[in-house]
Amino acid sequence: MKTTNPQHRLLALLSIPAFLFLVIPTAIVVPVALNDSRYITFPPEGISFAAVAGFFADRAWTSALTASLQSAAIAVVIGVLLGATAAIGLHGRKFPGQPAVVGLILAPMIVPTVVLALAFYQFFISIGMVGSIVPIGLAHAVIATPYVYLTTRASLAGLNPALVRSAQSLGAGPLSVLRHVYLPIILPGLISGALFAFSVSIDETVMSLFMQSPGATTLPVKMFTDIQFNLTPKIAVSSALLVSVATIGLLLQVIFVLKRRSSTRMLPLAVSAQT
Amino acid sequence: MTASVISAESIPGTGRAAQGAIELRQVSKHYGDVVAVDELDLTVQPGEFVTLLGPSGSGKTTTMMMVAGFEEHTAGTVLIDGRPVDSLPPRDRNLGVVFQNYALFPHMSALENVEFALRMRKVPRPERRQRAEEALDRVGLGKMGGRKPRQLSGGQQQRVALARALVFNPAALLLDEPMAALDKRLREQMQEEIKTLQKGLGISVLFVTHDQDEAMAMSDRIVVMKDGKIVQSGPPEEVYNHPLTDWVASFLGDTNLIPCTIVERNGEEAVVDLGGLGLAKVRDRGASGENYAVSIRPEHLKFRTRAAAGNGCAATLVSSTNLGATVRHRLTAGGHELQLRELSSDRGTRILPDEELWVGWDADKAQLLVLES
Repeated sequence: MKTTNPQHRLLALLSIPAFLFLVIPTAIVVPVALNDSRYITFPPEGISFAAVAGFFADRAWTSALTASLQSAAIAVVIGVLLGATAAIGLHGRKFPGQPAVVGLILAPMIVPTVVLALAFYQFFISIGMVGSIVPIGLAHAVIATPYVYLTTRASLAGLNPALVRSAQSLGAGPLSVLRHVYLPIILPGLISGALFAFSVSIDETVMSLFMQSPGATTLPVKMFTDIQFNLTPKIAVSSALLVSVATIGLLLQVIFVLKRRSSTRMLPLAVSAQT
Repeated sequence: MTASVISAESIPGTGRAAQGAIELRQVSKHYGDVVAVDELDLTVQPGEFVTLLGPSGSGKTTTMMMVAGFEEHTAGTVLIDGRPVDSLPPRDRNLGVVFQNYALFPHMSALENVEFALRMRKVPRPERRQRAEEALDRVGLGKMGGRKPRQLSGGQQQRVALARALVFNPAALLLDEPMAALDKRLREQMQEEIKTLQKGLGISVLFVTHDQDEAMAMSDRIVVMKDGKIVQSGPPEEVYNHPLTDWVASFLGDTNLIPCTIVERNGEEAVVDLGGLGLAKVRDRGASGENYAVSIRPEHLKFRTRAAAGNGCAATLVSSTNLGATVRHRLTAGGHELQLRELSSDRGTRILPDEELWVGWDADKAQLLVLES
């Protein structure tokens, strides 16, 4: 592509360094993970998949990966259910105390994680729910919910309220309205909300650290503890894994949005001349 | 223009007994202190086309939404076919509704849109597909079933919305300003097609509009609303020719309003004093108020010779404007400004400003009414 506009050229000139500044520290873990060395070094001395194989052969690391995926699954399912129903329920309604309800939903984004971690830790101990991944997943669901709420709310802004009414007049009950009117419109919001929920959970360290137990150690917690006592390229491998999961998620979302956009584009048709 | 493509022939369920009476008894809607609809009594007979006509804020849309069940009324009863429906949600009222911007489901094809009501009624797939295709055929869109709403023109979307509202044989059809988004020519065509369809089906229609021409063209009966109340109701010609108040007269079209005092009231007729224009015989529908006026539509004023019998007065021409099909003359007579409209084809010898003229009107075309403002 040729940029002839000098303003565009200037913009590119300025954005490329910013882009590199943002991406390089994250991307650098990939060559480190593929390094042919027993220690974490940079620049890499040669390319090898030994560390990757070692990671997947090590039960401690694979169980950490499983724990992370389990907590993320809990967070995504509960976060999507809570966030989406809250967004639909509050859509287009005004009642006294509504700002307070919205504030409550968004609170986990604002309250410092360490405070939440302490609160959850004490709460789950007091009800005797310790030693499994479930409390960690539930805690992650709480911080994931506001993201789903926000993305769903954003996609609901495009909803024509007459659609709900026309579905009702045609005989649709609440569940049919949800399925045939709300769902198709909030789907992009739900998907990006679910991706947010997933990455929030996969990335979360503080709460997972507070509530960790031998059977419930997530990947970030395992990395954190290993960094102090056992500095191996497996840490770099798990970082590379997290980065690639995040990248794939982002790409999927971009593809989905682009596909949807092209299928909903207005088609200039000759038929309009017929009427 | 293409000929009317909507036909009533291939309709499943045609020939069913006409039904779909809608009745509102003392229905009110309050929003806090604001009264949107005030103790409204309204009946739509089976097979009747009734139009709620009024400016925005007159409560006409609120009234329709209460019939459909989307707005809850504060007081009164709504009956459909004699049965109170106050506690029924919209989906159980069995009314076909066409919304202002059609509200077609954007992610469904035209056919799927039409099928929707049948799907909700658990009609088996082959049958509902067939009925939906028939409904689309009926509105002239048989080949467009696979298109998404955004691939259809405004007029086509309107037809899909109509087919969708009719496919499940509703008790009545509610139309909320369905032509507002169409251009003038298409609007007139759709008016005729909807009217043809309605007559063929014998279905009752409650129609909401602020466009008096549309109301005149389509209705069996016009219900004129203002500030949540009915100000006048009757067949289009009657409401147009015999308005009860100056507000109705002006809302339905151009008119000459001449303030008057009553000399004698005599059943259907009255003798009034038009001030500078002298005494005149006019139609009287018994409206009572403080101040009165006579309304004469511009097309009912005629140039006459002084000798001709009936009401009339001397006038002076101020200006003439050719509007294409008609010519509008501005006149002064007896201290009043008058408008006279005649067909361009009827225009006789060209008259000049300041020329002395005689204008007259038929007694049954002059209506005594109450002056509100």
